[in-house]
Amino acid sequence: MAFPHRLDAPELPDFSMLKRLARDQLIYLLEQLPGRKDLFIEADLMSPLDRIANVSILKQHEVDKLYKVENKPALSSSEQLCFLVRPRIKNMRYIANLVNADKTAGRTRKYKVIFSPQKFYACEMVLEEEGIYGDVSCDEWAFSLLPLDVDLLSMELPEFFRDYFLEGDQRWINTVAQALHLLSTLYGPFPNCYGIGRCAKMSYELWKKLEDEEDSESKGRRPEIGHIFLLDRDMDFVTALCSQVVYEGLVDDTFRIKCGSVDFGPEVTSSDKSLKVLLNAEDKVFSEIRNEHFSNVFGFLSQKARNLQAQYDRRRGMDIKQMKNFVSQELKGLKQEHRLLSLRLIPKDYRSLKTQYLQSYGPEHLLTFSNLRRAGLLTEQAPGDTLTAMESKVSKLVTDKAAGKITDAFSSLAKRSNFRAISKKLNLIPRVDGEYDLKVPRDMAYVFSGAYVPLSCRIIEQVLERRSWQGLDEVVRLLNCIEFAFTDITKEDKASSESLRLILVVFLGGCTFSEISALRFLGREKGYRFIFLTTAITNSARLMEAMSEVKA
Amino acid sequence: MDCYTANWNPLGDSAFYRKYELYSMDWDLKDELRDCLVAAAPYGGPIALLRNPWRKEKAASMRPVLEIYSASGIPLASLLWKSGPVVSLGWSAEEELLCVQEDGAVLVYGLHGDFRRHFSMGNEVLQNRVLDAQIFHTEFGSGVAILTGAHRFTLSANVGDLKLRRMPEVPGLQSAPSCWTTLCHDRVTHILLAVGPELYLLDHATCSTVTPPGLAPGVSSFLQMAVSFTYRHLALFTDTGYIWMGPASLKEKLCEFNCNIRAPPKQMVWCSRPRSKERAVVVAWEKRLMVVGDAPESIQFVLDEDSYLVPELDGVRIFSRSTHEFLHEVPVASEEIFKIASMAPGALLLEAQKEYEKESQKADEYLREIQELGQLTQAVQQCIEAAGHEHRPDMQKSLLRAASFGKCFLDRFPPDSFVHMCQDLRVLNAVRDYHIGIPLTYSQYKQLTIQVLLDRLVLRRLYPLAIQICEYLRLPEVRGVSRILAHWACYKVQQKDVSDEDVARAINQKLGDTPGVSYSDIAARAYGCGRTELAIKLLEYEPRSGEQVPLLLKMKRSKLALSKAIESGDTDLVFTVLLHLKNELNRGDFFMTLRNQPMALSLYRQFCKHQELETLKDLYNQDDNHQELGSFHIRASYAAEERIEGRVAALQTAADAFYKAKNEFAAKATEDQMRLLRLQRRLEDELGGQFLDLSLHDTVTTLILGGHNKRAEQLARDFRIPDKRLWWLKLTSLANLEDWEELEKFSKSKKSPIGYLPFVEICVKQHNKYEAKKYTSRVAPEQKVKALLLVGDVAQAADVAIEHRNEAELSLVLSHCTGATDGATADKIQRARAQAQKK
Repeated sequence: MAFPHRLDAPELPDFSMLKRLARDQLIYLLEQLPGRKDLFIEADLMSPLDRIANVSILKQHEVDKLYKVENKPALSSSEQLCFLVRPRIKNMRYIANLVNADKTAGRTRKYKVIFSPQKFYACEMVLEEEGIYGDVSCDEWAFSLLPLDVDLLSMELPEFFRDYFLEGDQRWINTVAQALHLLSTLYGPFPNCYGIGRCAKMSYELWKKLEDEEDSESKGRRPEIGHIFLLDRDMDFVTALCSQVVYEGLVDDTFRIKCGSVDFGPEVTSSDKSLKVLLNAEDKVFSEIRNEHFSNVFGFLSQKARNLQAQYDRRRGMDIKQMKNFVSQELKGLKQEHRLLSLRLIPKDYRSLKTQYLQSYGPEHLLTFSNLRRAGLLTEQAPGDTLTAMESKVSKLVTDKAAGKITDAFSSLAKRSNFRAISKKLNLIPRVDGEYDLKVPRDMAYVFSGAYVPLSCRIIEQVLERRSWQGLDEVVRLLNCIEFAFTDITKEDKASSESLRLILVVFLGGCTFSEISALRFLGREKGYRFIFLTTAITNSARLMEAMSEVKA
Repeated sequence: MDCYTANWNPLGDSAFYRKYELYSMDWDLKDELRDCLVAAAPYGGPIALLRNPWRKEKAASMRPVLEIYSASGIPLASLLWKSGPVVSLGWSAEEELLCVQEDGAVLVYGLHGDFRRHFSMGNEVLQNRVLDAQIFHTEFGSGVAILTGAHRFTLSANVGDLKLRRMPEVPGLQSAPSCWTTLCHDRVTHILLAVGPELYLLDHATCSTVTPPGLAPGVSSFLQMAVSFTYRHLALFTDTGYIWMGPASLKEKLCEFNCNIRAPPKQMVWCSRPRSKERAVVVAWEKRLMVVGDAPESIQFVLDEDSYLVPELDGVRIFSRSTHEFLHEVPVASEEIFKIASMAPGALLLEAQKEYEKESQKADEYLREIQELGQLTQAVQQCIEAAGHEHRPDMQKSLLRAASFGKCFLDRFPPDSFVHMCQDLRVLNAVRDYHIGIPLTYSQYKQLTIQVLLDRLVLRRLYPLAIQICEYLRLPEVRGVSRILAHWACYKVQQKDVSDEDVARAINQKLGDTPGVSYSDIAARAYGCGRTELAIKLLEYEPRSGEQVPLLLKMKRSKLALSKAIESGDTDLVFTVLLHLKNELNRGDFFMTLRNQPMALSLYRQFCKHQELETLKDLYNQDDNHQELGSFHIRASYAAEERIEGRVAALQTAADAFYKAKNEFAAKATEDQMRLLRLQRRLEDELGGQFLDLSLHDTVTTLILGGHNKRAEQLARDFRIPDKRLWWLKLTSLANLEDWEELEKFSKSKKSPIGYLPFVEICVKQHNKYEAKKYTSRVAPEQKVKALLLVGDVAQAADVAIEHRNEAELSLVLSHCTGATDGATADKIQRARAQAQKK
């Protein structure tokens, strides 16, 4: 069952090269500061860094101690300090405080700031304003693509979503273009390009400009990946806000998969220690169940466990026990989820709900509401509106564990973004005759129990089928994207039929595991293989957090 | 060919010197060379002449003319000299003409007589005037050395990076030295000067006396001195008619020659080639030219005309009114091949090839002879090398033909040297052409490199030839054609008589999208010439916005720069422009500019959020964006303000803003928060503990947990917390406290608006089934089964379910019948079901 690739599925390119490139560059940068040094790492960069270079590699290159960049004075006694940070003003202040404290104490050390994936002028300006521009040396670690799995590349930039879709800050677009440029240098040009969304279009244009400027040798190269599809997250918030019911998505919603691995706390492992598990295609069991609807998983796992227990020795058995334990715990959670799912949502008086929300979570969420409104996730509506049957069917799947705020947001969102019309046009809510057999999915809707085909995935499917946006004018209009839907097909006879069945999908603003599962399913049906590039893995909770205002 | 060696003159036993004509000059000289200041640049460079009216005691009423010619005598520039008296002329390594004035000012002109810049050699020089000056070349660039009227030396080793150095004084020096020169070794410049019979060496700090070893006695004065091209050797001409030659270090003597002429020579220069053992100097008097080396005899030439010597890397150029000649030591390869009765392999090969052309069998004999000695490779190499040293194309051809002929009989002769020589000679012949007038020898060309040669062609505005050479040599476009086209364009923008449109169009037509061409560089040049509009037009062709922006900023087209930066999508670039604009414009205009550029605005806002909160406020104020202003003050109320009064004030401002934004809800919520803050403050004062910054519900909870039920209720009333919510808060707090007694009292205080199932649930959650059971009886009938199941009373749950005759409830209870004790209950349910079905 589960996830056998079709025999004729095209081979994926080898993305481990990206890791090697990143590692070599980091080592080079560390060597630029010869001698022993302490390394300060920003918390957000720790997990990605861990996937690239472990502590022993760092030690080999004379990194003495590792510190986390946080709001505490550093106690490093090293003569050389190296900072590995995201280009954020907050970090610049941290460094400035440290350097200035040294200056006051009459201490001179060497400081090096390594920005990942790139440095911004604003950061340098802050260093200058703080009077330490001359004291530190700056470098860039162009580490923008982390292969989380054989078919999944993440930029690990969760802030992309808030920066672009809420604040309208376009600074990451250049990073995206650079990353795409890197891919085309390594894996050849992309003969067929499609995209939708303002950010997609800008990224694409900037990327093409980069390609033109460089008289690159990649121009004559054979393409390895035949298609690229760029998609803005704001084309489809609905899918991202839905509770996930495929296994990997569920694990992400419940335990939060971080950088391709998940930490199971003591309550899951039933021991004192927490357990870190890497979740990717190398884990045979996981790769078989990751894309399954959760209702199939338990049966499959117990079957698997029986088989395994018969075959393996006791030591292995321990793992299985843990696994079983985990699954049963997991299912406990699931039942609750299920309960939540079956709750009918009764439209409430929005105002009183909002008041109560502020009363219980604090007034700063007044700003959160304002953020949601700005991003188009929330529109105020007159009280007393009732949800139509179809909306309630979709919103059945929607839940937010943090608070019940989404329900209203969602229903109004549905209104504003013409969701109803689009879903009719693209047949997102398939008519179900009888029971939907989740064991033998018949379409991408299986990732939401057969109730809803993810809009993002449907768009991709439709465009790939047509090799253009032709005939989708109405959908594009409903998405308010007439200017921002593009196709760019190069007549390329060098592209092999193999490569033409490989599709790189770029999610600007994040994608969910459900979308990944749905597209993997689509690929299996059509004989394609999808490769995913996302600014970060996301889900409903993460999206909401990005919108939330938190007291510092 | 018989007379090929006719112009060879032996010097001693081992070397020949030959002199051949480069050009017959057809310049129209108005004055004799001897009446002019003359400067000729090395490497076949241009010649500058300035008739020196200041030397003669004539009235300075007539302005002199500065003329610049190519080495072949083609006029390049002619301008009326309007500045002060000039003491000396010289060419820099970049082929710029340095004119040293009497007052120590140095005026720099381009090859075409265009004034470039000027600099001064310092106050001391200005005061004491310039007596004499020399322009010299070092590894740093070109230097100027000056002898002042006070008999002191000032020099700068690199005029590109002017650092003046005043040399130490020569003790007791009363008169000007009879001759002097600059010496460079180990990156230090020295001055060697002769005063009477003494030689002094000046370095940066000291003055020392030096004596040339083995100098013939009786010298009372040195009349002339010469340093070799590479500063390695020195020659001294004494008043006794001796020429002393030795290394520049003066450590030993190479040779000494008595020329029996005591008259001071006009010029003395070294004539030697790199890697040759032969050393010789060329001495010129009015009518006589003498080549002197380590040999008892010298070579003598008669000078028919007033002539001028130009030292080169591998020989000496001699030009006069009518001719331009080159004098050099015959290179080894040529000597071997052409020496009379030479049996060198190259000579035989040349012979063989000639016979072959005559279809004579002798060709085979010669070839066989070479092959028997196994010297064919050497022969070919010799012919190739000798071809390089020939000036006449016919000789080059016959030598190359011989080489090519010999190559046929070799299995594995790498073709590179032959091919490269052909290419190099083609380039050399092209630039040596009379119209171009750069008489480079092969050695000079190799020393100069093709890049520099191209630069020099560009400098002479010989763009088509330069491009042809690039294409012929297949140089990469970026280093070759594109670079030259860019230079051409930079020249083109200076043509002031052509309109902006025409220039821009012409440039774009020629350059197109040639890789490596930077339109912004050309635009920068146009701007440098004061053609801002043209610069903007040219920038339109620049595909890289990043390159457009800095120049636009420089030209004060900041707003255009901003839109270009935004177009580029590079936020860093936008930011650069923003900061520029911020400094350039007043605040109001700056904000107005931002208003029209949403992308820049959001970028700037983001920055302000972190760095300049006040500016952010101003931005919102300007836009009358009350909603955002409100949000801004809300954030300030908990992020920026510490004191409670400040926080309340911030909230008040926020509330006002929300009212203006017609966001009544937010305004009300903000006002509630103000009340809450004040109240929390009071609570802290009266009750102690931490209340500030808790949400309303948390405040209520905290009060209940602290046992202040009255206050909690008062608070709930004040803020109109719905009854249901209050009950929930109370319920959870009391359960958390495990204050079961109070909970029970509370449950009885009035009818619960949330029912009693939550009571059961929360007790079970706290693992207190005993307490939970107390509430089961009060749970509403439709929830009773659930409640009973929660407390584990399956039997009673079954009874209730049966009573309700509810199928769903029955199944639910049944699913809970797991233990052995529940067997009876399960049966009971089954029976009830069966009964129900019967009915």
